[in-house]
Parts: sequence; structure tokens; C-alpha cells
Amino acid sequence: MDRPKITVICPLFDEEENVPSLVTAVREALEGLEGGARWELILVDDGSGDRTVERCLEAATDPRVRLLRLARNYGQSTATQACFDAARGEVIVTLDGDLQNDPRDIPRLVDKLEEGYDLVVGFRETRRDAFLTRTLPSRVANFVIRCLTGVPIRDNGCSLKAYRRPVVERLGLYSDMHRFIPALVVGSTGAQIAQIPVRHHARRFGTSKYGLSRVWKVLADLMTVTMIRWFGERPLTMFAYGALAALIASLGFLGSELVDLRQGAGTAHGVVFAGAVFLLFGLSIYLLMVGLIAQVALHKWAMVLQRHDHGGGRP
Amino acid sequence: MTAHEAMSATADSTPLCVIVRVTERPVPLDEIYREYAPPLRSLDREVEFVFAMEPWARGLAPPVEALAEAGEPLRVMEVTRGLGEANLLRHAATRSRGDIVLTLPAYHRVEAAALPALVREIDAGADLAVACRRPRTDGWLSRFQSRVFNAILRRLVGHTTSDVACGVEAMRRSVIEETPLYGDFFRFLPVLAVRAGFKVTEVDAPQHARDARTRVYRPGTYVRRLIDILGLFFLVRFTEKPLRFFGLVGGTLSIGGGGLLAVLFVQRVFGGVALADRPILLVAIIALTLGVQAIALGLIGEMIVHLHATPMRRYRVFEADEES
Repeated sequence: MDRPKITVICPLFDEEENVPSLVTAVREALEGLEGGARWELILVDDGSGDRTVERCLEAATDPRVRLLRLARNYGQSTATQACFDAARGEVIVTLDGDLQNDPRDIPRLVDKLEEGYDLVVGFRETRRDAFLTRTLPSRVANFVIRCLTGVPIRDNGCSLKAYRRPVVERLGLYSDMHRFIPALVVGSTGAQIAQIPVRHHARRFGTSKYGLSRVWKVLADLMTVTMIRWFGERPLTMFAYGALAALIASLGFLGSELVDLRQGAGTAHGVVFAGAVFLLFGLSIYLLMVGLIAQVALHKWAMVLQRHDHGGGRP
Repeated sequence: MTAHEAMSATADSTPLCVIVRVTERPVPLDEIYREYAPPLRSLDREVEFVFAMEPWARGLAPPVEALAEAGEPLRVMEVTRGLGEANLLRHAATRSRGDIVLTLPAYHRVEAAALPALVREIDAGADLAVACRRPRTDGWLSRFQSRVFNAILRRLVGHTTSDVACGVEAMRRSVIEETPLYGDFFRFLPVLAVRAGFKVTEVDAPQHARDARTRVYRPGTYVRRLIDILGLFFLVRFTEKPLRFFGLVGGTLSIGGGGLLAVLFVQRVFGGVALADRPILLVAIIALTLGVQAIALGLIGEMIVHLHATPMRRYRVFEADEES
């Protein structure tokens, strides 16, 4: 069978009620593609506890619909990566399984991609979510992500995105990194990104798998992505900045200590400042050493990659 | 690494491989063989016993080597240095050809009659079947220790079985090949196998009469077990996201220390309160310093995870459709 032009991928976790409508909606949206382009839909069951698999199997009677069943619930990032690994199309479109995205937007995403972009990201212009618990936190998060990563994505939470295959092949999603794909893509490949408005519908069946409890997780992941984005190729620089700040603070306390001594303060008086000087100086040295270790790790990995590129074999 | 091998003529073609780990407090190995082999013969398959032993146990080999020479389907596999239970099992399994591996320690844990049920669980679709000593006949102190250990493990790690320490398990070969197993983590194989995406089931197995005496270990043993659980807790929860752990610890310390420093700074600048004789300043700086150090470690961990992310497949596909 020829490779399809478009692969639509959809991770599913406890979405039994949504599967039939989802498959129908994708099929209707892609039947009328320009030039009758071939497509496939990959449904990935991420260890659902309900009848999602049965619903998918019913839908998979259409040869263009494929089912991948993960051995347990790995989370959305790993499920998305499993889809990427299984995808055969030249264009790969990601879609949520809860029908909040509208598959009718897929052709527009693909058209935009064909203007020469590597990644087209949808943004939900009119959201149908609760303002206080979902829309507001999402806006704050998007603002912070934009500021820290320097990648001006309006809606990182919108799953509807279209990728060129080479972009996907460079990704290795883990943890909860699916939220930061544009920042990771720009950081590692310098890909060209476009954004277009997409429709958004309120969830009809099932419940959201995310809540406000994810704030700390998102913050920690954001810190990681920011580090990778700005210092992924030069970790020593990042730690050296921290070391420099600690050194300056240490010297500040040292200066105060010397001024106090000059003004005739007793030795006991200076113990606190002396302690501060040593602690901050120690921190400075520590950060420098951590930076050196990070640089060594990066260098060793670069050597592995180089051997892989010139000697064959997967690292 | 070399292995001393003495095997029966038919052993290499057996689909069930029984690996006896000779690592601690072994009983005479021929006793183990004579007791545990007969019930397994009731299964409709050939069975090979492999006694995997560390160098210090060499003196225990002659009785089973004599059995092998007499035509019993067993062999002795001796490694040249201490590997620990996990590596010993892996070493023995990779040099055996059974489709299903049944492993047990070189002492009595469960009644021999319970072993076929473990293998039948694998035939029924499980990837790993773990024996749980039930009913237990040992003293209350042993049961109490075991209950506390398993409760801590369940609380911290989540997926586990009710008797992690039993060590009698049947599994598909792929479990050994695909589960990251090393060091002292052998006893946590069920936890790691679930994480790796394998189907794990429990099988009740009556406790052996010779396992029923109460054991009180040295304090160092309990400390090592707790350290193992701590290590497992970290690996299970934070292997792919170390910053979430280090960042939580470091962020709390940094915010505490930084907040305190801010208060002291305001008091100094706007209240004219001297800093040089206030030990609280040192407390604030120590907290901030430790916090920054923890965050730095977390960032290093994240960088290493990220570097290795692309070439690693982190999931196990249970079932996929045929490619159209």
C-alpha cells in the first residue's frame, strides 16, 4: 500500500464515548481533500480502563484507521511519541480525542503547512471552557511560556497541530513535554512556525484528564524547556551565570565585613558576614563544577552522535 | 565472564527454564532439585534447571553436578565474580533457551506443589506471575516486618504485589530482556515489570515449613531495604522528570531562604537594623544555597534525560494492527 500523505494521530485515554464521533468527523473532514490525497488515522489507546479499545476496533474496519494499543497508561507525551513513531505520512496532524478540536480544521492546517512552514499550530480563538479554572490559567501559562522560551505561541494547550515529517523525526517526547513541542522544535531545529485560528468545542462526553494540580508540573517542565531552549548547547554558561551571581553576593558581604572591621567592629561581630561569604563562595564553586559536569555530559553525547553519524548504527 | 557449565543432553531445547539463584543462605542444592523438580514434570513441557551461583558457592555444586552426570536435566552455571541476584538471573537467562523462566532462591520459600500454577498463569496470558506466600505460617514478627515493608512500598511506589520479598516468580523471557534490572532491585522486579508495561499477576502459594521461622536481621539490612525503596520511589516517579523532585525541594528552600533575605534586606535598608550580628542571615543563606544546589542537580538530571530522549523508545506496545 502507498504511503499516505497525511497521518492524523490521536492519543486516547478513557474516551469510549468520543471515539465513534471522532472517527466519523475525521473521515468526513479528509474525504474531500484536494486531489484525493491519501490519509490515515492512528488511534492510540493509552491504557484506557473503559471500552475505548472496543470502540476503536469497531472503527478500525476502515483500512485507513489504525489502532495502536499501549501496554499501560504512559501519559499523553509518550502516547503522542508512539503515534509519531508509527506514522507513515509526510504530514502529521495531532488531534485530541475529546472532540474539543474540530477535524474540519485539518485541511486548513495542511494548506498552511504547504506554504513552506515546518509546523502549523492552531490556536483556539473562542474557547468553550470555564474561564476561571481553564481559560485564565491557560492564558497566564501561555504568557509565561512565551516570555521564557521566546517562542511566540498563542495557545500551547491546543493539540491541533500539523508537522512536516522531518520535524517529528527529531522529536523524542517524554514526561509531559507534549505541551512544549513548538519551543522544543524551534530550539532544536530552528523550524518555521505558523499559527492559525481553529474552532473549539466544549467537551461533550467524559471528563478532563487535567486540572489545576498540574501547575507545579508545568512550571518544572517549563524550567527544563527554558534551559534546553537557551542553554541546551552551552550548559556551562548557565551555571557560570549562577556562579557569578553567588560570587558577586559573596564579595558584597566580604566588602561589608572589611568596612565593619575597619570601623572597629569586634571579631564576633563579623562572624555572620564571614559565614555568608564562605557559603556564597562555596555555592559559586559548586555551580561552576556542576556546569563543567553538564558540559562533559553534553560533549560525551556529541561524541556518541558523531560516531553514530559516521559509523552507522543507532546510538 | 566465563561460566562453568555442566548440562544434560536435552537441556538446551527445553521451553521451561528454572533458574535457582544461589546467592544467600543456600540449602543443599540437590535437596532443592529433588523437591521442586517433580511437580514441574506434571506440566506438559520439558524442564531444565539452572543453578546460577556466585564463586563462593562453588563448594555446593558437586551434588547437583553428580545429578547432571546421571542424566537429570540440570546444569550448574558459575560466574566469576559476585553479580547480585538481578545480574545473576539475567546472566543465566541469556544463556538458557526456555521460553518461560521460573526463578527461585536456593532455599525453601513456598511449597513445591505451587510452582505449576505460576507457569500456568503465564500460559494464560500473564507476562510475570509472582508467588505470594499465602497462607503464611511464620511468626507474627516476620509477618509484621513483611507487612510493614510491603505497605511502605505500596504507599511510595504504587503498583506492587503483596509479597515482594518472596522471590519465586515465573515470567516470559521478554520480561528479563526488556525490564531494566540491576543491583539489589531484583526483589522489585514486579514493580519494574509493571512500569515496563508487562502484565503482572499474583498467585497464592503456601509458605514452606522451612521458611516459617522468625528472622530478625541486622539493623544495616533494614537500612539497606529502606534505601532501596527510596531509590525505587525516585526511579519510578522521577526518572523522566528529575527537576520535579529536586525542584520541589530546592524551590521550597530557595523561596524560604530568599524570602527571609528579602525581609532582612528591608529591615536593614528601611529600618536601619544591623545585619552583621544576626545569625538568621546565615540561616537564610544556607537555605538559599541548599535550594540552588538542589535545583542545579535537577537541571543536570533533566539535561541528561533530554539528551537521551530521542533514541529511546519509552513505551511498550501491547498490540498493534497489521500495517495496511
